[in-house]
Amino acid sequence: MNWFYSTIQAVLNGLLTGALYGLIAMGMALIFGVMRIVNFAHGAFLMLGMYATYVLFQTTGISPYYGFPLAGAVLFVIGYTTYMGLLRPIRGQVDFMVILLTMGLALIITDGVQLIFGADYHQISIPLLSKNIRIGSEISINAPWLVSFAIAAVLAAVLYFVVTHTMFGRAARAIAQNRYAAPLMGINVNRVQAISFGIGSAAAGIAGALLLPVFYLFPDVGNQFKLKSFVMVVLGGMGSIQGAAIAGLVLGVVESLTSLYWGNEWALAVDFVIFILVLSLKPSGIFGSQRA
Amino acid sequence: MKRWHFILAGIFFLPALLVPLVVQSDYTLQVLFRVFLFAAMGLAWNLVGGYTGQLSLGHAAYFGVGAYSLALFSKAGVSPWVSVLLGMVLAMFSAAVIGSISFRLRGPYFALCTIAFAEVLRLTAKNLPNLTGGDVGVQVPLLFPHSSTKAFYISGVLLTLIVLALTAWIERSRFGYYLLAIREDQDAALAVGVNTARCKLWILLISAALTAIGGALYASLFLYIVPDQVLAMEISTEIAIVAMLGGAGTLIGPLVGSITLETASEIFKNFFKEANLLIYGVLIVVVVLFLPEGIVGTIANKLRLFKSAPIAPFATPEPPDPEEEAQRAVISE
Repeated sequence: MNWFYSTIQAVLNGLLTGALYGLIAMGMALIFGVMRIVNFAHGAFLMLGMYATYVLFQTTGISPYYGFPLAGAVLFVIGYTTYMGLLRPIRGQVDFMVILLTMGLALIITDGVQLIFGADYHQISIPLLSKNIRIGSEISINAPWLVSFAIAAVLAAVLYFVVTHTMFGRAARAIAQNRYAAPLMGINVNRVQAISFGIGSAAAGIAGALLLPVFYLFPDVGNQFKLKSFVMVVLGGMGSIQGAAIAGLVLGVVESLTSLYWGNEWALAVDFVIFILVLSLKPSGIFGSQRA
Repeated sequence: MKRWHFILAGIFFLPALLVPLVVQSDYTLQVLFRVFLFAAMGLAWNLVGGYTGQLSLGHAAYFGVGAYSLALFSKAGVSPWVSVLLGMVLAMFSAAVIGSISFRLRGPYFALCTIAFAEVLRLTAKNLPNLTGGDVGVQVPLLFPHSSTKAFYISGVLLTLIVLALTAWIERSRFGYYLLAIREDQDAALAVGVNTARCKLWILLISAALTAIGGALYASLFLYIVPDQVLAMEISTEIAIVAMLGGAGTLIGPLVGSITLETASEIFKNFFKEANLLIYGVLIVVVVLFLPEGIVGTIANKLRLFKSAPIAPFATPEPPDPEEEAQRAVISE
C-alpha cells in the first residue's frame, strides 16, 4: 500500500504547487488574451515580487503571507508603467518585436537585481515552515503550502470575478474578441490594456511572494516559472484564464507524479513534451473553451 | 551582386584573415573568434528568421547537436572532422523533425515551440549521463593540432565568409524570392504556387547544418562542454539578437550586429562582472524602440543603399484579418 499513499501524497503536493502555477498562468493568460503579447518578462516580474517581499521581511519582519499585497501593488505599478512606457510605443509592430522587447526587459530586470542584491541564494525562515498537518498516518501537508494554496485560490476566484463580472473585465474581453471594434464601442483600449498588463504582472508578483517562504531566492529564479507559464497558457488555451488556472493545477500534479516515478530531473522535460504535443495536436488548448 | 560588393567584402575579409599575424594575444583572438562565430550563427539564423520571417528561438538545438556530435562521435572513434559532418547531418535531421511540427504554427506559437524543442534536448542531454556525461560534461577533441587559437579564429572568419556568400546567393535566387514571399504573406505565397512548407523546411535544414558547424567549433575551442552551455536558451537568444540588432533580412546585418554586441559585452564585462547580460537587454530594448529594422536596415533605408536587397522586414504591421480576429481566443466566460 506504500505506493498508494505516496501517489496520493504526490497528487496533493502537486495540487498545492499547482495553485501557485495557476496564479502565474492566469496573469500570463490575461496579458496574452487582451494584448496578444507573449510576455517573456513574466518570470522576471515573479522574481521582483519575491525580492519585494524579501526586502519587506528583512526590514520589518512582516511575513510574506501578510506582505504579499505589497508585491502585488509594486508589480502592478511596474506592469502598468512597462506597458505605457515600452509596449504602447510599439503597439503596431509584429509579435516578433514584442517578444524581443520583453526578452530584453527580462534581461535588464534580472541583471539589475543581480547588480543590487548579488547572485547569492537567500532563504527566509518563518515559524510556519516547520508545521505539518498530518492526515491519517501516511500523508502530511506542509502548512505554508496550504496557506499559499488558500490565498492563491481566493485570488484566482477574485481575478475570475473581475474578468467576468466587472466593467473592466467586459472591456478586456471585448478587446480580446476584437481589438478593432472595441475602441468603436467607446473602450479606452490603452487604459484597459495597461491595467490588464498591471494585473497580470501583479499576479506573477503575488505568486512570487507566496513562493518566497518555500523556495530559494536568486536573481534567475523566475526563468523556470516563465517557461512553465508558457506551457500552462498553451495547455489552457491561449488567453483563457480559467483554462490557465486548471492547467496550472494539472501541471503541478503531472510534475509531482513525474518526480515521484521518474525523478525530479525529468519534470521540466515532461512539461515541454506536453507543450509540444498540445501545440501540434490541439493548438487551441485542452481546457480552453474557445479556439486560439 | 555588383562588383563593389566583392570589393567591399575583400576590403573587410582580407585584413580580417591577416589579423593573427599582428595580434598575438590568445585572449584577444578568442574574443575575435567569438565575434565571427556569432556573426556566422546570426547569418545562418537570418536565413530562417530574417529572410523567411520565422522567429526561431531554438537554434541552440542545432548548435548543441553540432557540439555534442563532435564530442560523442569522436569518443566512439570517428575522426573529428567526420564527426563534424555527422553533426551537420544530425542537426539537419533534428531540424526536419522540429520544422515539420513547428512550421505548422505561426507567430508566437512557432517561437514558443522552437524554444520547447531546444529545452527538451537540453534536459535530455542533462538527464542521460551515460550518453552525454550529463552535467559533468564531456570532453571535446581538438579540431586543429596544438589547439591553436589562430586556427580557430581563421576558421571563424572563413565560416562567416561562407555563410555570407551562401546568403548572398540565396538572396538572389528564385528560392530566395520564395522565402521573401513567405515572409511577406504566407497565404498569398501559397496561393501563387509557392510550396511554403517545403521552402521553410529546406531553409531550416541549411540553417541548422551551418549552425551545427558553429557549435562544433565553439565546443572544440572550450575542449569541454555541458548541456547548460551549448544547449542553453541563452545561445538561442544571442544568435537571434545578433541578427536582429544588425538587421534581420539584410545581408550584412548579422555581421554588424555581432561586432557591435560582442564588443559591447566585452567592454561591459569589465564594468559589471556578474551582470554582463544587462547590456544585451539594454541593446535589445533600444533596437526594438528606436531601430526596429536593425542597424544596417535603418542605415540602408536612410541611404537607399543596397537597393535590390530586401529591407525593413518587420517594420510593417500585418493588416487586420477580421475573420481571424473573430476566431481568436477570448478570455472566455
